[in-house]
Amino acid sequence: MPTAAPAKITCQQLYKIFGKHPQRIQAALQAGATKQEVLQQTGHVVAVKDVSFTVRQGETFVVMGLSGSGKSTLVRCLTRLIEPTSGRVLLDGEDILTMDEARLRQLRRHKMSMVFQHFGLFPHRRVIDNVAYGLETQGMDKRQRLARAQEALELVGLKGWHDHFPGELSGGMQQRVGLARALAVDPEILIFDEPFSALDPLIRREMQDELIKLQEIMHKTLIFITHDFLEAIKLADYLAIMKDGEIVQMGPPQQVVLHPVNEYVCEFTEDVPRSHVVTAAAIMRPPLPEDGAAYLPAVPPDVTLQALVPIAAERDARIAVRGQEGDLLGIVDRRGLMLALAGLELT
Amino acid sequence: MAALAPARSLTLSPRWVRWRWPLIAAGLLALALLLRALPWDTTTWPEAWDLHLRRPIDAFRYWVIGHRNTHWLWLWFFDPLSAAIDWSIRRIEQALLATPWPLLVGGVALLGHRLGRWRLAWLSGGCLLLMGMMGLWAQSLQTLALMVVSVGIALQFGIPLGIWAARSPRVDAFLRPILDAMQTMPAFVYLIPVLLFFGIARVPSVIATVIYALPPAIRLTTLGIRQVSPATVEAARAFGSTPRQLLFKVQLPLAMPTIMAGVNQTIMMALGIVVIAALIGAGGLGREVLVGLQRLRVGQAFEAGLAIVFMAVLLDRLSLALSHLSIAKRRHAPADLGRWAGLQARCPLPLRRHGYLLAFLLLLAGVYAVHATLTDLRVFPAWLRLPLAAPIDAAVRWARDHLYEIGNSGLGAGPFSDFLTLHVLTPLRTLFTATLPWPAMILAVAALAAHAGGWRLGLAAALGMLAMGWLSMWNHSMDTLSQTIVAVALAIFIALPLGVLAAKSDRFELLLRPLLDFLQTIPPFVYLVPVIMLFNVGRVPGIIASVLYALPPAIRLTNLGIRRVDREILEAARAFGSTPAQILFKVELPLAMPSIMMGINQTVMMVLAMVIIAGLVGGGGLGLEAVIGLAKNETGRGVEAGLAIVIMAMIFDRITQGWAGRWRIARGS
Repeated sequence: MPTAAPAKITCQQLYKIFGKHPQRIQAALQAGATKQEVLQQTGHVVAVKDVSFTVRQGETFVVMGLSGSGKSTLVRCLTRLIEPTSGRVLLDGEDILTMDEARLRQLRRHKMSMVFQHFGLFPHRRVIDNVAYGLETQGMDKRQRLARAQEALELVGLKGWHDHFPGELSGGMQQRVGLARALAVDPEILIFDEPFSALDPLIRREMQDELIKLQEIMHKTLIFITHDFLEAIKLADYLAIMKDGEIVQMGPPQQVVLHPVNEYVCEFTEDVPRSHVVTAAAIMRPPLPEDGAAYLPAVPPDVTLQALVPIAAERDARIAVRGQEGDLLGIVDRRGLMLALAGLELT
Repeated sequence: MAALAPARSLTLSPRWVRWRWPLIAAGLLALALLLRALPWDTTTWPEAWDLHLRRPIDAFRYWVIGHRNTHWLWLWFFDPLSAAIDWSIRRIEQALLATPWPLLVGGVALLGHRLGRWRLAWLSGGCLLLMGMMGLWAQSLQTLALMVVSVGIALQFGIPLGIWAARSPRVDAFLRPILDAMQTMPAFVYLIPVLLFFGIARVPSVIATVIYALPPAIRLTTLGIRQVSPATVEAARAFGSTPRQLLFKVQLPLAMPTIMAGVNQTIMMALGIVVIAALIGAGGLGREVLVGLQRLRVGQAFEAGLAIVFMAVLLDRLSLALSHLSIAKRRHAPADLGRWAGLQARCPLPLRRHGYLLAFLLLLAGVYAVHATLTDLRVFPAWLRLPLAAPIDAAVRWARDHLYEIGNSGLGAGPFSDFLTLHVLTPLRTLFTATLPWPAMILAVAALAAHAGGWRLGLAAALGMLAMGWLSMWNHSMDTLSQTIVAVALAIFIALPLGVLAAKSDRFELLLRPLLDFLQTIPPFVYLVPVIMLFNVGRVPGIIASVLYALPPAIRLTNLGIRRVDREILEAARAFGSTPAQILFKVELPLAMPSIMMGINQTVMMVLAMVIIAGLVGGGGLGLEAVIGLAKNETGRGVEAGLAIVIMAMIFDRITQGWAGRWRIARGS
């Protein structure tokens, strides 16, 4: 399970305030002023307010929020494309915010790369030169970097398009180039800034599926920004919801869906079909001896209701939940299943 | 939305607010009458108020002349600078003159083919050849050398400065007002201080040309870099680019088309000043035009003018092709080889790859073989000479005899010229200088300025007008003002209908476009030559030339403004049953107004620049004063005239820009 993995990025009490006197405003915020008050009285914009989180290695960490919630600013603070006002960002234990320019560039060249909402491709460079750009800044020689770029292009399914210019490609293909460009440097962390929101719905789904497939091979650490809640729960191992520069709720997606902390989060979760999110692990109860678990159909703990219901309909409604080694974790019974389907809490 | 009237006019404002501008005009008129009724003279500017600025300036000039050979500023700065520029221009001139002419023509044609295939090859080779055929080969090459050095220096300073301004807002804020001022200044004005510090020769012409041509190089470089999308820049930063990598791998390549457009403009500006620079000792074609004009040898001036036009076409089309090339690179299109494709494919690889180099070497070998054995090819052969001067002089004589007054009908250029002078120009000048009291004149201009840009601008305009008087240039300024007003009125009267027509008829626009392109390639001075043929010297030829010079941008911007009106709005107008005339006057023209006002701003500025230049051919006014200052070495007088010109240009510019701004705000665009 990814939760056991070591922390890759840790963000502690991060603030970003736009305006003339960010330090003063931060003190005011800590004393209890709200974002709206600050904006009205001082003209300062509070983009990120006291954000802390940890992203573990190999995990997909999704930040979801509406426009203006500060999520784009937040990820730019991670690579200091925007300079944060205060706080700490630890990458493998090293504070990014204290690095000098040269060290920071090394980091951007080798460890973290980014995929942008509007692709951010270089219109004057061929596809292959776009993909090779990160390697070029590293100073890799031409033959080598073109070979690496070619591999990355094949990985995203754009073999044969290397000689074209970005302007000649469709939006979906352009974003594949953006993805290939990010992958080409073989970074430890990939940051996605609403990468699919400029694409039409069908292409968007296709790209999401492909990203999931790629991640199964790559096991990179992904930080993914989106304003689409369904996209968030589809991709996330761990989900943070932002509003007005703050994280309002954080947790595994199903936990967020099942236990929204406030009205705001509720608004998003309402539209989510529970059967897609709730897993066997969430609704199972401890096994009892009379269950006769050995004779029951078995499922892994991350199976969703969607898959559980047909099995339950066939049999006596009781299903054993077993771990990878076949160890019995719990039992899903009729009561748990029906309560979950009705959207009620399991007590 | 433009369709909705602003709230202000719905709730009727008090009567005096609605009528304030007519009231102010009436007040001014009353004031003028009142002032005239006073016992002392209010119509002529009080001479006692002159600042006599020319005295200290002339004193400074004598100091400069006295210390030019001993002062460190010359010994360590101006002289070495002069020497370096002189050395390079001489070298280039010598090299060009030592090159056999077929090699230059062939080389330029090859370059044309590389940049724009056969069309451009023929055009550029042909232009160069024609310069030689005018009998102006050596002069053309001299001018070319001047251009190469000036444009080279301008770009060397302009592009780095532009880059610097693009990256540092502080540098940009510092440069912007300077560039604004430089661009409103008519070229004449530069010459005076340059003359003072560098004397008369080729070097000061280079310096003046560099200064004149610098602004577009800086401006368009900054613009090009600023236009690179922030998302692209962010992506480059996110992949760990150093500032240098960002500049050279992303920003500069993307800014290239705009920078190349700046190079094109720099070249054209430099060429535009070539004739004027001849006033302070630049040789070449400019001198030919100038001498021809001054001695009224129209044939000679015409030939040289034509040669300048050929050079302008040559340099313009080549540099434009260069900038198109940098755009075309971004598309993935194999070069269109047409019927040569088969031949090219059969060529061995080295021939295909280095075709141009091989062709050039072949040309080189051929030319030098002929040069060494048969004839000296450095001299343009006399048998290729196209004798134009004599027939043109004949044509001028014929025009003078037959077109100046056609029969005894009272029609023709002469009567027209007389009419314009006697019934329009002179009365207007008399009105400004003798009839209207000067305080009323100042207040009228201030009121216009206040209407255009608020009371601050009004105040500034009033101060500017006063300054013209203090500079003892009141009467000359009013003379120039009257000529400018007449020329602008004529230009707008012609340009607006043509612009509307071009917007309404694609065929007419297609017909007009090459003509306008051509008119815009001609350096301002050259306009005077054919006009002089018909109208002789005086104020009228200057006005005609100004109108011709200022027409293209006014027509273009009117056309553009109307064509840009939203299709949907036009459909809505038609759906409500508007006639074409109603659509034009109620919808299209009002919506095109911001663009039209920009056109008028450009018209005014160009007319002023030309009216000043026309001082050379008897236009009088500030232009003549500046010319006298230059020609007779009366620096003080020249500086006074120059300052008055700058002030007048700035007042005109701000007033017309202010109106354009008001329209833009009213249209919400």
